[in-house]
Amino acid sequence: MNSIIGIAVKDIKTFFREKGTIFWTIAFPVLILLLFTAIFGREIPFNATIGVVDNDKTASSIGIVSGLNATGFLTLRNYTNVTEAFEDLNATNIRAVFIIPSNFEQSLPYRNATAFLTVDGTNPDVARIVEDGIRTLLLGYYKYAFNYTDPVTLNAEKTTITKNIGYKENIVPGMLTYPLLFSSMVVATGAIVFEREKGTLKKIRASPIHPINMLIGKTLAALFQTAIAIIIMSALAVVLLGPKLNWNVPLLVPIFFLGSMNGIALGLIISCIGRAPQEASNAATTIAIVLQFFTGMYFPVEYLPDYMQQIGRIIPMTYAAQAIRDIMVRDATAAALLWPIATLTITAVILYVIGILLYKRWVEKE
Amino acid sequence: MIIEVEELSKSYGEIKALDGVSFTVEEGEIFGLLGPNGAGKTTLIEILCGLRRLDKGGATVQGYDLIKDTYKVRGVIGFCPQETLLYDLLTVRENLAFSASLYSLSSKKFKERLESSSKVLGIGEFLNRKAQHLSGGMKRRANLAASIVHDPAIVILDEPTVGFDPNMKREFWHFIRELKKEEKTVLLSTHDMYEADELCDRVAIMHKGKIAALDKPTVLKEKIGGQATVHIRVRSDQAQKTRALLKEYHFVAKDKEINIPAKDAWQTMHEISNKLISHGIFTEKIEIVEPTLEDVFIKLTGSRLTGSEVS
Ligand SMILES: Nc1ncnc2c1ncn2[C@@H]1O[C@H](COP(=O)(O)OP(=O)(O)O)[C@@H](O)[C@H]1O
Ligand SMILES: [Mg+2]
Repeated sequence: MNSIIGIAVKDIKTFFREKGTIFWTIAFPVLILLLFTAIFGREIPFNATIGVVDNDKTASSIGIVSGLNATGFLTLRNYTNVTEAFEDLNATNIRAVFIIPSNFEQSLPYRNATAFLTVDGTNPDVARIVEDGIRTLLLGYYKYAFNYTDPVTLNAEKTTITKNIGYKENIVPGMLTYPLLFSSMVVATGAIVFEREKGTLKKIRASPIHPINMLIGKTLAALFQTAIAIIIMSALAVVLLGPKLNWNVPLLVPIFFLGSMNGIALGLIISCIGRAPQEASNAATTIAIVLQFFTGMYFPVEYLPDYMQQIGRIIPMTYAAQAIRDIMVRDATAAALLWPIATLTITAVILYVIGILLYKRWVEKE
Repeated sequence: MIIEVEELSKSYGEIKALDGVSFTVEEGEIFGLLGPNGAGKTTLIEILCGLRRLDKGGATVQGYDLIKDTYKVRGVIGFCPQETLLYDLLTVRENLAFSASLYSLSSKKFKERLESSSKVLGIGEFLNRKAQHLSGGMKRRANLAASIVHDPAIVILDEPTVGFDPNMKREFWHFIRELKKEEKTVLLSTHDMYEADELCDRVAIMHKGKIAALDKPTVLKEKIGGQATVHIRVRSDQAQKTRALLKEYHFVAKDKEINIPAKDAWQTMHEISNKLISHGIFTEKIEIVEPTLEDVFIKLTGSRLTGSEVS
């Protein structure tokens, strides 16, 4: 048998014979999925970024913008150009575009001032909170500041609402990122740490297999285990929750693959950094537990405080989670996925190379 | 020669684990590294197996240079470490298949090897049992089978019988001799002088990272171990009389035990025996005690193989 395949087959067999493996990698996330759907299938305090285009630039419009700023749940991003704002909306960098046209203040006395709001309707909770918030503020502002009655019309519309999207439609794609952390990353760390701890790495290192081939074998095993976990979780999610999602397999596979490679590379790095084998293994689990909250797995990223969203941005899995949601919920096309695919490819390559170098250094230190 | 080690040195920080070690191993022999804990045996073995780096010197294994052709060297060696390295959750057959895959063995060759291992090592009856359910002896056998599954020309074992009871040791020695019959070269380390004596064609005595002596066990004992002694035990009430009778010999006596060093031990034993019988002395025991490799080690280093100083 080929030695790479030999390593992979051995790893897969030992993995699936380990007691508790199936529970932690597959049953546990499904339980979480059901639990969260039951608990959080409703509103949650959140923070969303919205784009603002102020074409009026009058005391009134500036007053509105600072009022929006003061709400605390909206982060504003200013645009001078409407097209740019909509590009960002389409790229899901912002959740809504709010436009104050140039004749806004002039029209106020005539009670026909109109402002425009376009909200990303993908997540109905987010969309509703953003729209209600702005409407309340806009109308309230004039009512109490100037004692006008309804001088403003908010012309609100929602984009991309093609289907009825609920909490389960959001959490199922999120949960499918779970294996990228808990199968790919933790398994990759475990696979190497296990050999170190048992001393069996000695046997492998005394054989003519090249260290890189050994890592490739282990990578194949971790990829396989991740795939199994994703397939089983998807099947269970469909059977138990029946979410209305777009299962675009040709687009999902490369994203899952790249996300998994990122996880495996991170796992490899962690396994070489820890001094004691058990230390590395615990570290991987802890990191996975912490990271899952930043990647937008359980909640759309908007529900997270701002600084958490920032942290999420430096974790490759966040991009995988986002892309998976885009495909499954928003029917994203290949063209819209170029950026996440490029990002994930670059991070996977960089992390994997670092992992290999660390591993080689560690092996040679002996 | 099949292994040639030249001026090999290795330090861990301040500790000189190997200090200019040179020796050769001939094809088909069982070669022993005998030395106490810390002598440098594991360091030497693991360098030869490509598991640790050397500082100075070099080695060739079957003509391949240890550093330049390290992957080729690994291919011709079967390494059996001290600890059993089996995957608990895999069956013995799966463990062996995995080892075979590390050496890219074809499935036909693997089947052949499985059969011969089953015959020689008697692992056939538990091939389908998971390693975690094996007894200690079975594990050791499966472990050995795994390290030689690729039919290597050279088998290297690091203290293979540590922790064995005498029966298991004998059984294991039998397996090693079977390997020799298959014309394999065996290099093993041990701190058990009986094992070295019993099993090895040649023994290198290691002490503090150096080879203190190297030869056949018989030659080492003869040349370095010193003279054999005639050991006598008599009845307590006859001890005094016996000592007086044997005063021409340079004996060492303690109560009723008397040890007489002799160049020609058989001749001396004969003489003494006759003399004592003719004087009506009843010997409870009379025997020749040959020098052991332990004696050789003590003569060479002033300490015992267990590491303690000789008083
Ligand atoms: N990895 C290591 N780091 C530091 N010192 C070591 C290491 N391995 C062995 N030594 C030291 O090197 C010496 C030789 O050890 P070793 O080769 O294990 O001897 P043996 O196998 O004969 O008992 C000992 O003094 C030991 O403490
Ligand atoms: Mg040792």
